[in-house]
Amino acid sequence: MHFTDLFSLILDNLGRRKARVALTAIGVLIGTASVVVLVSLGIGLQRGATQLFGIADLTRIDVSPKYNFEGVPVVSSGLGGGGGGAVPTPVPITDQTIAAIEALPDVAAVIPRDWLQAQTILKAGRLEAGVGLIGVGAADLATMGVEVEQGTSVLEKGTLIIGAQIALNGFYDPKPRPGQGPPTPPELLDKQIVLTVIKYTQDGQEVRKNIPMRVAGITTQTGQEADWSVFISLDEATQINSWALGRRINRNKDGYPMLVVKAAEPDGVLDLRDRIVDLGYEASTYQQFLEPLNEYYLTQQVIFGGVGAISLLVAAIGIANTMTMAILERTREIGLMKAVGATNRDVLSVFLGEAAGIGFIGGLGGVAFGWAASQVVGVLSLVNLASQGGQGGFFGGPTVLAVETPVWLMAGSLIFATLVGLLSGLYPALRAATLVPVLALKYE
Amino acid sequence: MADPLIRLTGLHKRFIMGHETVHALAGVDADIARNTFSAVIGPSGSGKSTLLYLIGGLDRPTAGRIEVEGAALDDLDENQLAQYRRRMVGFVFQSFNLIASMTALENVMFPMRFRRASLKHRRERAQELLTLVGLADRAHHRPTELSGGQQQRVAIARALVNDPHLILADEPTGNLDSASGALVMQLLADLHRQGRTVLMVTHDPRLTRFASDTIRILDGRLVSAEEYEARANLALVETHLP
Ligand SMILES: Nc1ncnc2c1ncn2[C@@H]1O[C@H](COP(=O)(O)OP(=O)(O)OP(=O)(O)O)[C@@H](O)[C@H]1O
Ligand SMILES: [Mg+2]
Repeated sequence: MHFTDLFSLILDNLGRRKARVALTAIGVLIGTASVVVLVSLGIGLQRGATQLFGIADLTRIDVSPKYNFEGVPVVSSGLGGGGGGAVPTPVPITDQTIAAIEALPDVAAVIPRDWLQAQTILKAGRLEAGVGLIGVGAADLATMGVEVEQGTSVLEKGTLIIGAQIALNGFYDPKPRPGQGPPTPPELLDKQIVLTVIKYTQDGQEVRKNIPMRVAGITTQTGQEADWSVFISLDEATQINSWALGRRINRNKDGYPMLVVKAAEPDGVLDLRDRIVDLGYEASTYQQFLEPLNEYYLTQQVIFGGVGAISLLVAAIGIANTMTMAILERTREIGLMKAVGATNRDVLSVFLGEAAGIGFIGGLGGVAFGWAASQVVGVLSLVNLASQGGQGGFFGGPTVLAVETPVWLMAGSLIFATLVGLLSGLYPALRAATLVPVLALKYE
Repeated sequence: MADPLIRLTGLHKRFIMGHETVHALAGVDADIARNTFSAVIGPSGSGKSTLLYLIGGLDRPTAGRIEVEGAALDDLDENQLAQYRRRMVGFVFQSFNLIASMTALENVMFPMRFRRASLKHRRERAQELLTLVGLADRAHHRPTELSGGQQQRVAIARALVNDPHLILADEPTGNLDSASGALVMQLLADLHRQGRTVLMVTHDPRLTRFASDTIRILDGRLVSAEEYEARANLALVETHLP
C-alpha cells in the first residue's frame, strides 16, 4: 500500500468518526497539556533560581595550590613509602602547570594571578582608597571575562583598571571636616593617580614607595569579584612584591598563588575541573554550586512530568478502548479490506495510523493548550507579584516566576503523544490485522 | 479437455466447535473450466459458502488442494494470498458489504486504495463501471440512499474494479426482490459472456438457467443431479415435518 493511500485512508477513517475521535483526543489533550504546563513550570522555577547566579561566569575555574583544612599544604613528600614526618609542601603552580593545563581539551585561556603582599593605598587628589591589588598575567582583562564600562581592558605597565564599586564608593577623605558627607567620587579615567606601597623593615621602620599610575579603565558592574578589585599587570605586581619582600621572586619555586582557567564553553567545565584536581590542585567553579541546584530542579521536573504522564496513560487507555471498539464495529469492513486484496500489513498500518492520528491530534491540541496555559500562569504570577508590592522571589530579590515553554518541550510532547497513540493502538491493530477474513465478513 | 481454471482435490474443511466437529466440506473433487458460469446449489448448511471462500483465498482448507491456473493456493503465504485476491478474484456478497460512510463512487474506488494507480485513473475507472451497472447518476449517493438492488450493482462494480478474471458471488440475489435479482443475474451473465469465469452460490434452483454449469452439494459433498433430486426432496420433506 502506497504511503499517500495509507495516509488518505487514515484521514478518511478518522473523519468518519469525528465525534469519537475528538472525545478520545481530548483525553490526550489534557494529558499533553499537563505535561507541558508542569514541565514549563519546573523550568521556570529553575530559571528563577539560577538567575540568582545571574551573570556568574560559567566558564571560569579558579585554581590554587592544594591546602588541607588546617591550611597546611598536603602533598606526598615525593620519597614514597608514606613519607613519615616530612613537612608536606604544596605543589606550586608553576609555568609547567600552566602549560599542562593549557594542554587540556576545551581550555581557552590560562591566566596566572598574584596579589600585592604589602599594604597599599590609592591616592586620587585628596581622596584615598585602601584596596588589594591583583596582578593579572594577561594582556587583556577580557580574556579573564572582565569587561570595562569605560576606557580599555588592556593592561600595560604603569596603568591600572579599577573595579566599578571602588570607582563609585571606594574613595574617602582621610581628613574629613565635621558634618561633611561622603565625598563625590573622583574623576578617574585617564587620570594620573598614585599607588603607595608600604613595607616595614626588621626594626619596625615604615618604608613607603610611591608609584604613579594611569587609570586605563573602569569595569562594568556585575556583582562579582571584579567590582571591588583593582587590576595591574602581573609584571608590575611581581616587581612590587620583590621590592616588598626584598628578594627576587622565582615563579618556578614560589609559584603563582592562583590561576584563572577559562573554558571554551560552559559544557564540560565540571570535567575540566576534575582533570585539574587530578593534577594535584584545588579548583572551583560556579557550576559546582549550580549542579546540585540543577539536580534538584531536574528531579522536580521529572516528578511534574510524571504527574502529566499519568494523565497521558489514562488517555492511552482511552485510545486503546476506542480502537478496540472501532475494530469490533468495523470487523466486516476489515474482512472487506482483505477480500479486495489488503495485506495484513496494510490493515495493521491503517489501524495503527488511526491510533497514532488520535494521539497526534490530541498532542497538537495539548501543546497549544499547554503553551497558552503556561503563558497565563506566567502573567498571573506577574500580577501576583505586583500586588505584593514587588517583593516576591524566594531569596529576597524580585524574582518573576518565568514560566518557560521551550521548543524541545513542545516538539517532544507532540512526539510523545503520537507514540502513546501508536502504542495504545498496537494490540487492537494486531488483532484487526490477523482476523481471518471469512470470519470477519460473517461477523454481525 | 484443456487444463481447468480451478482444480479441487480431496478438499476438506472442518470446524471444531467445542466438542463437536462440523464437516463443512467432506472431500470435494472438482474441475471448473475457464470461462464458465457455475451455479453452486444446495440446502442451507451444505457447505456452499465455505467452498466459495476457500476458492477465493479468504480461508484455508483443513486438507486437500486448490489449484488456480496451475498454482496451489496452499503454497502462497499471507501476502501472496492477498495479492491473489486482489488480482484474480472479485467478490460479491449477499449483504453487499458496502462501506456506509462512502458514496457509491468511493465504494467502487475502495479496492484501488491498496494498489498503485493515479486518482484520476481511479475516478475514471469507477465512473465507467458505475455506468456499466447502470448507476452513473447515483455515483454520489451513499448506500443508505440506494435500493438493495442498486447497492448490489455497486458491489458488482466494486468487484470488477481491479479487472479480476474470477467472479465469486455468494447468494448475490438473496436479499433482493425478483426484479432487482433479475437485473443482477443479467449483469453476472454479461460478465460470463465477456470471458470471465463466474462462480455463484444460490439456493434458488431457478437461477441455474443463467448458468452454464451446475455444481450440486449436499452435506459437504458434490453429488449428481439424480442423487441431488432424490435427497434434496427428502430433506425438504423432513424440514416440513412438524
Ligand atoms: N466459522 C465456522 N465455525 C463453525 N462452523 C461453521 C463455520 N462456518 C461454517 N460452519 C458450518 O459449516 C457448515 C457449512 O457452512 P456454509 O456457510 O458453507 O453453508 P452454506 O451452504 O453456505 O449455507 P447457507 O445457504 O445457509 O449460507 C454449516 O454447518 C456451518 O454451521
Ligand atoms: Mg452461505
